Amino acid sequence: MTKDDGEMVEEQKKKPCRFWIWALSSVLFRLILISYAGNLNLSSRPEVSTPLTSIRRLAEGYWLKQASMSPYAGSMYHGSPLLLSLLGPLTVQRLVAETSSNDLKLCFNLVEFKKEDTLDVSGSKGNQVTSFADILSAILLRGIGKKLQMAYGLNARLLGLLKSPRDKGILPCGDIAALVYLWNPFTIVCCVGLSTSPIENLAVILALNGAVTRRVPLAAFGLVMATHLSLYPAILTIPVIFLLGYGLDAPPLKLFLQTRNVESGNRSSTSSASKQAKSKPTAQLPFLWKTVVHFVFWALVWSLCVMVLCRLSLSKHGGLEEMFKRTYGFILSIEDLSPNIGVFWYFFAEVFDFFRNFFLIVFHVNILFMLLPLAIRLKHRPCFLAFIYLAISSLLKSYPSVGDSALYLSLWALFVNELADMKFSFFLFCGYLGVSLLSPVMHNLWIWRGTGNANFYFGNAIGYACFQIVFVVESVSAMLNHDRALKKCNPNHQKVKN
Amino acid sequence: MKNLTLVVMLLCYSFASSSGDSTIHTNNWAVLVCTSRFWFNYRHMANTLSLYRTVKRLGIPDERIILMLADDMACNSRNQYPAQVFNNENHQINLYGDNVEVDYRGYEVTVENFLRVLTGRHENAVPRSKRLLSDEGSHILLYMTGHGGDEFLKFQDAEELQSHDLADAVKQMKEKRRFKELLIMVDTCQAATLFNQLQSPGVLAIGSSLKGENSYSHHLDSDIGVSVVDRFTYYTLAFFERLNIYDNASLNSLFRSYDPRQLMSTAYYRTDLYQPHLSEVPVTNFFGSVMETIHTDSAYHAFSSRISNSKIKSDTPFNQPFNQLSEQDVKEDLQNTNNQNDELKTEKQKCPYSEMRADLHEKLKKIENVDTMVNLSIAVMILVVMVSSSLL
Repeated sequence: MTKDDGEMVEEQKKKPCRFWIWALSSVLFRLILISYAGNLNLSSRPEVSTPLTSIRRLAEGYWLKQASMSPYAGSMYHGSPLLLSLLGPLTVQRLVAETSSNDLKLCFNLVEFKKEDTLDVSGSKGNQVTSFADILSAILLRGIGKKLQMAYGLNARLLGLLKSPRDKGILPCGDIAALVYLWNPFTIVCCVGLSTSPIENLAVILALNGAVTRRVPLAAFGLVMATHLSLYPAILTIPVIFLLGYGLDAPPLKLFLQTRNVESGNRSSTSSASKQAKSKPTAQLPFLWKTVVHFVFWALVWSLCVMVLCRLSLSKHGGLEEMFKRTYGFILSIEDLSPNIGVFWYFFAEVFDFFRNFFLIVFHVNILFMLLPLAIRLKHRPCFLAFIYLAISSLLKSYPSVGDSALYLSLWALFVNELADMKFSFFLFCGYLGVSLLSPVMHNLWIWRGTGNANFYFGNAIGYACFQIVFVVESVSAMLNHDRALKKCNPNHQKVKN
Repeated sequence: MKNLTLVVMLLCYSFASSSGDSTIHTNNWAVLVCTSRFWFNYRHMANTLSLYRTVKRLGIPDERIILMLADDMACNSRNQYPAQVFNNENHQINLYGDNVEVDYRGYEVTVENFLRVLTGRHENAVPRSKRLLSDEGSHILLYMTGHGGDEFLKFQDAEELQSHDLADAVKQMKEKRRFKELLIMVDTCQAATLFNQLQSPGVLAIGSSLKGENSYSHHLDSDIGVSVVDRFTYYTLAFFERLNIYDNASLNSLFRSYDPRQLMSTAYYRTDLYQPHLSEVPVTNFFGSVMETIHTDSAYHAFSSRISNSKIKSDTPFNQPFNQLSEQDVKEDLQNTNNQNDELKTEKQKCPYSEMRADLHEKLKKIENVDTMVNLSIAVMILVVMVSSSLL
């Protein structure tokens, strides 16, 4: 046993080193891409930069602010004013310093600038911010994954399926999720293309990490920032409250009730489900109201701070009303119909004005309708619920981009232990690959060459939406099958033991 | 209080106004008509093109110039210098350069079209570039040259425009408020008779010769073979070539520059319908286009206060009525906001909480560098998050 333990400790020491090697090499890869692949024009692609995440719009909003006009004037910028004050100075061109040199050099600089055809965003600083956001998200994901892995191991031991919680068969989902996030081509493209989705993803992962590690102020801060930056993470309040109230992901309570007769250990566990199973014979999980009230209090505190700061930034330009109208109002009313990888632009380009509001309500309620049934069915697995909610919102949001997919794909990797038997995984992988390769091609055919039309690009977007739907449905069914399999395992296991 | 200021404003304006009506001078238009065709009338086209060049040089853009030419000189087979039209035998200026926009050419220069241009009654299909789109604040320069006689002007050897036709057209224009001031300049034989019948106020007219006198050409260009410019126009150009867009030479100096001995005719002008003193009216009121600009800091009016940001800079002394109007406007606005502030203050003094809020508001407005404060606050927030999450 000691030999095994020793081996395992050594392996565990090796694993962090391997993880950090892979993480740092992904940062290196990003740096290489930034320096040498200038022609990719990633920041102008509709898959990467949407009207909400585009860095050019942020630069425009910052310039408007500096010219003492409202940053939302002209319907260019639709993001948070806090992001504007943080990232705005990074978007200022550097040519000012170079104009003081003599005319030839200035000519040269101008010529060089024209040749590169890059953003007038000074790339290095912006890229540093997004790379830093990516690394931080990866570290936080690793933290979430470690907790989930530990919980999985403990639950498995409690159910009598495994001998020790540190079984080698349990995959290190934290490392895997973090590396999936860092090496996902979608994330790399968003980082190099300087969209603001890495920052939004960071806020969401911060909220989840806070909820999983039971750091209530952190969770509240992450949730408030995520909702402030883009509206949709507001639906994550449900899984976050479940995480804080009920605890981490665990198999359904019934399984623990069935095995309580078999188990007689006194070891403590982080899952309150198993505690409950030992102490009382009732089939109800306790809901920790104190933590949830704590969370609500912190959420209110952070929202107040954010509102005050936004009011301060926009005091001369219309205040909070203007901000809400231009950020949340813009998201909900889908004013901008430029193509993206979602499916709404095509529809709203041809809908009659009379029906526009009706269809807006229908599409947004589409997300809201799914919240309640999923919450009821998956309340014993709040982290997985968060993943499903994020997947659905990135499928049905007004201006989706590949940054949203990057987020939920890495959250999916947190559940490799449970979703090992997912069907159609290869088909989905090929589907995602094909869609992401064809999307720029179709866009080029439509916009630049003129040999295609909007239907080409929209067909691609529909295909992407279909793959995402299949992905979500299959993950949920795989998870539910996993629970059913556990249920099947248990009586058999009981019988064997007896 | 408001009514009183309005009355005072109107009184001031009526004392200082330079014309009978109280409209503001908005823009300048030029209608330049050459009524002759055929090679031997080269000088008439050169006259019109010289005026066109002068008027453009002094600031009127093509979209506000209606140029009517027979346009058969430049590419005439008799022209030794193809696509070039000169108004002097030294051939220094080519009047038919790159940016000559002729609106009515060839057989389109008819009396009917001319009257349609003046009165603004066109068929539906006539494009905007051929319309005189003046408004009630426009100053219009109408220059006509060609062959004329006692109370008529010959149009392209086929028709004639009579003085009462012109007077009727001007009367219609005045009725439809298509101009604020009109300067009619005619360079033909017996030109002064053409505006005998004018009665509309706000019209100033000058002709190159009186009844019974001929207007002569200036000199013959032996290279081209015909006379290239008329005397009246030649001396008009001699006056304008010395000017640029910033000069404020008056109409009086222009009219006084015509010497009857050099013109070999009497340049007669009638000012009975024109109220302002000629020595106070700059030539650029008709021959150029000098716009007054008011500098304001804000471009988007929706969320910035006009009172705090708008500044009025007035340099030219000639547009006083306009300045007075805008100053009065601002004063009125200030008075209104002061009244509103007073009302609000009396209401707010009742509740101490709203007093505090008002104080906060004022303090907020005074903070200049909001951005650094916001950044600092965000940093503080993040610190608090880290500290609280590690403690709790």
